Amino acid sequence: MITGMDRLVAAIKGEKADRIPVFCNLLDQGVKELGLASLHDYYQRGEYVAEGQLKMREKYGYDNVWSLFYVGKEAELLGCRKILFSPDGPPNVEHFVIQSYDDIHNLEIPDDIIHHPVFAEELKCLQILKREVGGRYPICGYVTAGMALPALLMGMDKWFELLFMGPPEVRDELLAKCSLFCQRHIAALRELGVDVIVYANPFGSTDFVPLPYIIKTGIPWMKQDLSAGLQGIVYYCGGARFNQVIEDIITQIGIETYYLSPLDDIAAGKQIINGRGLTCGVINDIKLIDWSEEQIRQEVKRMLAAGMAGNKFLFGTILMPYKIPERNIRAMLDAVYEFGQF
Amino acid sequence: MGEGTILEHIIAAYSEAVFDTDRDKAFEVIHEAIAQGVTPEDIVFKVVIPSMEQMIKAISEDFDANLAQHFMASQIASQVTDEMVAQFQTSPETIGRVVIGTSHGDMHTLGKRIVSGCLRSLMIDVVDLGVNVSAERFVDTALEHNACIIAISSMMVHTARSEYSCLAVRELLKQRQLEDRIKIIVGGAPYTWDTELYKVVQADAWASDGISAGKVIKDLIMEMHK
Repeated sequence: MITGMDRLVAAIKGEKADRIPVFCNLLDQGVKELGLASLHDYYQRGEYVAEGQLKMREKYGYDNVWSLFYVGKEAELLGCRKILFSPDGPPNVEHFVIQSYDDIHNLEIPDDIIHHPVFAEELKCLQILKREVGGRYPICGYVTAGMALPALLMGMDKWFELLFMGPPEVRDELLAKCSLFCQRHIAALRELGVDVIVYANPFGSTDFVPLPYIIKTGIPWMKQDLSAGLQGIVYYCGGARFNQVIEDIITQIGIETYYLSPLDDIAAGKQIINGRGLTCGVINDIKLIDWSEEQIRQEVKRMLAAGMAGNKFLFGTILMPYKIPERNIRAMLDAVYEFGQF
Repeated sequence: MGEGTILEHIIAAYSEAVFDTDRDKAFEVIHEAIAQGVTPEDIVFKVVIPSMEQMIKAISEDFDANLAQHFMASQIASQVTDEMVAQFQTSPETIGRVVIGTSHGDMHTLGKRIVSGCLRSLMIDVVDLGVNVSAERFVDTALEHNACIIAISSMMVHTARSEYSCLAVRELLKQRQLEDRIKIIVGGAPYTWDTELYKVVQADAWASDGISAGKVIKDLIMEMHK
């Protein structure tokens, strides 16, 4: 039987399996699969998250599983004491670790993430995933880039203020610490057998900052984040557009997988990558809440027509909103399985 | 050079600095203008506001400004305005007042801050309620401060669509028969991803970015004043 890993490896090599790989990012939906009372309860235990991931992959038949609980977990590893849970959406960071520039100076980056008490449940989750589907279905991990991590620690507006108007020595101290955390986080996930590391960096998108800024300031920090190697690294800007940046990332860093924005032109992105890596066409999953099944089918068909020529292509979602009806998740996946066949 | 030409040069130099996200240069332009005898009133009404309106127009015509430019434009403009207003001969009249905050359950502050800066530079009063704001607090504060607009920022789709967010504000306005007096505008990432979403959450208007929100809100206020 062809596995998700077989499909991914074929896509990376530019070969054809039975169909293109499908990365469907269902996280919060696991709570429904397990029949638990709340997302708060669901995210307290690694075995819950692992079971949710395994059940959903089995039920829908897509190709990946996630070790990510929620993005704010990284802030918790760095001292965040309060997460705001919602009944129907991803948790938010409520307590910002950095309230003053002194807090930046005092910020400590854990040496050993794997054995950090806050990581214990993720570790458990990863061990279960590895045992159950390791080698057959790609296990995904999520790492926030050093340049984006301060937003989780101090809020995005305070980070913008420091980044663009604050004292350079304070800004650089924070960037250096966040880059170090990013490097250690990547190393920990690799050591635990994560296959795909989604490297999330909104500051690598021209929706966020101008291209000259990315080239002059962003790329050197990305190189530092990724100094241990590019194996399994996926370039992702949190859903923001980055087609204009791809050429510089390929030539200066060499990342080989690009998880486009739903607002990027898939054919244009693929043309820029031009066989030098894997392109993921990403659906606007917010629209999946209200679209009809036929609208979803047509959109998937359009996306695959734009991306499948020449192989080296996969289909993906962002973090699927909790409110998407199950029939629409199925409609999307059925359409990919149909139009994504070779 | 005539007064008009001098002001055109100042607007051009100031707008260029804002576009380049160069705060120091923008202030240098303003301080030089003051040294040359331009009044603080003229800086606000003939430089900062026209420059902001030019940026709004450029964005509406598909000029692809990024978030850093939006942020810096709003912060520079509001800081210049604050500095100039403190030197006005008489207190300026504001166009109107807006109560702003993030929706219930949402802790993301960037969009709200960009909008607030933009509004202040357009001489619109802003009452900032911060993050995770309940519907009751939005409406009560709007009444207390006689604000005609409630602006709700959401970064996540579940906080935008939540029954405790814009939908609850709409319900309260209905119950208290305030819909003619207070309008709701929404903004944030989910509305950009789904441009019909503002209708689903029963807002009166939406804006695709923080700078454009300035124009949408100003237009709403002007319409309500008719």
